[in-house]
Amino acid sequence: MPERINPLKAPAGTKLALMGNEAIARGAVESGIYVVTGYPGTPSSEVIMTLQRFGKDLDIYVEWAVNEKVAFELALGASIGGARSLVTMKAPGVNIASDPILSAAYCGVDGALVMLVADDPGPITTQTEQDDRWFSKLAKLPTITPSNPQEAKDYVKVAVALSEKLQLPVILRTTTRVNHTVGDVVLGAAELPRKFKGFKRNPPRFVRAGMRWNLERHKWLNKQLGRVEEVLDELGASVNEVHGDGDVCVVTEGVTYNYVAEALNLLDLREGMRVLKVGQLYPPPKKFLKRGLRGCRKVVVVEELDPYLEEMVKALLYDEGVRVEIHGKHDSLLPMEGELNVLMVAKAISRVTGIPLPTSLQVNRETPAVPPRPPPLCPGCPHRASYIAILKGISKAGFRRDEVPIFGDIGCYALSVESPLNAIWTEHSMGASISMAAGMKLGGYDKPVIATIGDSTFFHSGIPALLEAVHKRINVLVVILDNTVVAMTGHQSTPSWSVTETGRKAKPVLLEDIVKALGVDNLAVIDPFDIDSMANVVAQYLRKPGVNVIIARAPCALMKVRAEGVKAVCRVDPEACIGCMACIRGTGCPAMYVDESGKAAIIEEDCTGCGLCAYFCPRNAIKEVRHE
Amino acid sequence: MSRRVREVFNILIASVGGQGGLTLSRVIAIAAVDEGLSVRTGETLGMSQRFGSVTSFVRIGPQNAVMSPTFSEGMAHVMVGLELTESVRNLRYLGEDGKILVADTVKPPITASIGTTRMPSKDWLVGALISVDPEAVIVPAKKIAYSTGNPRAANMVMLGVFNKVFGILSDDAVINAILTLLPGRRGETSVAAYKAGIKWAEENKVVQG
Repeated sequence: MPERINPLKAPAGTKLALMGNEAIARGAVESGIYVVTGYPGTPSSEVIMTLQRFGKDLDIYVEWAVNEKVAFELALGASIGGARSLVTMKAPGVNIASDPILSAAYCGVDGALVMLVADDPGPITTQTEQDDRWFSKLAKLPTITPSNPQEAKDYVKVAVALSEKLQLPVILRTTTRVNHTVGDVVLGAAELPRKFKGFKRNPPRFVRAGMRWNLERHKWLNKQLGRVEEVLDELGASVNEVHGDGDVCVVTEGVTYNYVAEALNLLDLREGMRVLKVGQLYPPPKKFLKRGLRGCRKVVVVEELDPYLEEMVKALLYDEGVRVEIHGKHDSLLPMEGELNVLMVAKAISRVTGIPLPTSLQVNRETPAVPPRPPPLCPGCPHRASYIAILKGISKAGFRRDEVPIFGDIGCYALSVESPLNAIWTEHSMGASISMAAGMKLGGYDKPVIATIGDSTFFHSGIPALLEAVHKRINVLVVILDNTVVAMTGHQSTPSWSVTETGRKAKPVLLEDIVKALGVDNLAVIDPFDIDSMANVVAQYLRKPGVNVIIARAPCALMKVRAEGVKAVCRVDPEACIGCMACIRGTGCPAMYVDESGKAAIIEEDCTGCGLCAYFCPRNAIKEVRHE
Repeated sequence: MSRRVREVFNILIASVGGQGGLTLSRVIAIAAVDEGLSVRTGETLGMSQRFGSVTSFVRIGPQNAVMSPTFSEGMAHVMVGLELTESVRNLRYLGEDGKILVADTVKPPITASIGTTRMPSKDWLVGALISVDPEAVIVPAKKIAYSTGNPRAANMVMLGVFNKVFGILSDDAVINAILTLLPGRRGETSVAAYKAGIKWAEENKVVQG
C-alpha cells in the first residue's frame, strides 16, 4: 500500500496534484522560510494547515496568531532580524493588518517577508469583493500574482528573492481560483530555514516618530519601487510573459490568463492575437508593457473585479502618446463584479474582434427550478441551540422578537440568518457585533440589544469592543458562542487551546478570565443545549441594566464527532409522530426531512444525537437510539 | 497509461456538502496526474459547506492543454451526481451530448422541509435528468455502499461507475489515488466501494451513451 505522499518532503522533480495553497506551503519549504503565521480565512487557510500537518519536523515555526495585525507584526519582527517569514490572510484580514503594513514599507526588512493576500472574486466566501491590487498601490509594496498552482509555488521563491534584494515586504496576491484549484505541480528542492541573523539599533529606519526620518524613508521606498522590474529581470524570474503576435492585444493577469488562453483556442484565434500576461502587479511593469504593447491597434484588458490593469495600461499609453482603442471594464465589455470564466471572456473577445462564437458554445439548456440549498448550521451544532435559547429568552423577558435586534458576527453562526431561526440582524466585520450593538444604544434605542460573537472572533477583535461598552456603561447583552475552535474555516486552534496543531505547548487563555478582567456586570457560563436554563438567563440579563455576558459553551459538533464518534442518534417513531413538524420547523436541522407519509424522519448517518428535535416534539415521538 | 484522453475532458460533480464530492474530485485529480495527464479542479471550500450545494469542476487532458480551473455552462462531458436535486440544479453545465451518471439519493434541502419551498418528487427529478439524457444512468449508490460496509462511500461507488463507463483512468491509478488520499481502513472500504461500482456497471451493462 502506498504511503501518503508528503507534499512538503517529496523530492525535487516529483509531480503531484496539489491545491494552490498546498503548493504555496511547498514553496515556503523551497525558499527557506522559517516563521509562518496568519489568521484563518478562506481562501487562504490551507497554506498554514498544510505546513502544520506535513511539516512537523522541518524546523519551521508555523502557528496561527490571534489576528492578522498581530500575525503581520510577528512576521515583521522576525524579518527585521534577518529570518525569512510568511504571513497569510484573506482580503478583510488585510484591512485589520493595514496599519503595520504601511509602516513596514518605510522600515523594510532584512530577511524576506512574504505576505499572502487571498482575494475572492465571486464572492465565494467573503463579505466584499475587495480588490487588494489597490492595497498594494496604497501600501507601496511590490506585488506579484500567480495564475495556477505551479506558479503559486514558484512565485513564493521569487517573492522571497525580491524581498531580500529590495529589503521590502512583498505581497503574493492570489484569488480563490488559484488558492483552491488542484493542478499538477513539479516540485523543486527544499532550502534550509533562514533564522535570526542580527538586529542593530537604527532609529531613522525603525522609529516612525521622526518626521524627517519618515520623509527620507519615503524617498528610499520610492527608489526601491523603481527597481522592482529590473531586479525581477536580474533574478531571471519571468513573471511577465508575451504569447503570440498580432495587433490586437489582450492584457491579463492571474487566473484570468487561463480563461483568455482557452477562449482564444475556442475562437480559433491562437495566432493573430498577442497576450500579455502580467505577473508583476505593483509597481506597474512599465518596460514590459511598453515593449509588449508596441504596434497594438486594439487592447482588451481581461481582469476580475476593478479596472486596475486597465487604468494602468491607459496611463502608460497616455504617457507614451499612444491613442488606441482600450476595452475592458470602463466600456462595460466585462463586468466589474463577480468572477469571470472562459465563456464570458470568449464572448468579450468575440465582440471586440468580430470573430463569432462557435455554435457548439451556444448551448442554452433550460434547467428546471429546484429548491435552493443555502448552507445550514450542521446537525448537532451548539449555535442552533444558543439562538433558540436567545429567541426564547427575548419572549420570556416580555419583548417581541422584532424589537430586540441580534447583532451577528463573522463565523458559522451567521448561518442562523436563514429560516427557520431567522436570528441575526447584522453580520459586518470581526468584532463588530458588540460595538455596533453598543452604538445603537448610544444612538438612542431604548429597548435591549444583543450581540452574538464566536470565541475566536472575540479573541480576534471583540475584546476592545467589550472594553468600550464596559467603560462607557452601555447596556448590552453579549453572548459569546464558545465552540472552542475556529470552525468555519476548517477547525483551527484558538488561544484557549493548551496544545496547538503542531504539538506546541501553549498557555490556555480562558474567555471567562478575560471577560471578568474587563469588568462586566454579570457573567454566566452555560451549556446551550440546556435551552430552558439558558433562555432564563437571557431573559434575566435582558432586564438587568449593565454589560452582561453569557458564555454559551459546547464544542463544535463536527469536531466532537471527529474526536469521539457518534454515540447515539435520534429516531422518529412513526406511530407516535403526528406530522406536526414542530421538530423540523423549530430546529431546521439538515439531518431531518419529511417522508412520503408526511411524517418527520431523520437521516441516521447525518444525525449526531444532540436531541434538539426531541425537545420540540409535543408527542415524545423522537427517541435516542444508542450505538453499541 | 491513459487510454483515451486526447482533448480536455470536463467532469462536473454535483453533491451536497458532506457527501464526499470534494474527495471524489481530488481522487480523480491525483489519479490523472499519476497517469501523466494534466489536471485542474475548481471548487468552493472553506465556508460551512456541509449540507449546502457543492459543485466541483474537474478537468483532465494532455500536458499543457488544461488551463482554466472551471468550465462554463454547456461544457461538461459528464455529470457525476451524488444527489438528485443537485444534479438537476447543475443540468445547465451539461454539454450537448453530455452523459449523466447519478446516485438515486434524494436529500431534501431544509428550505423544502420547513415548507418555504416545494420539494419535487424523486420521479420528477429523475424525469428531469432523463429528458436531457435519455440514457442517464441512475445508480443505487447508497445501497451498494452499504453492502460494502461503508455507508459514506457512495462517492466511490459513483467513481467506479464513471471509470467503467469512460475508462479514462487505469484501475491501478484510481486505487492508488484512493489509498493516497484516504489512509487506513477508510481507504480500504473506499476501494471496495469503487470496485462494487465497477461491478454494478458491468452487471447492468452500462456503456457510454
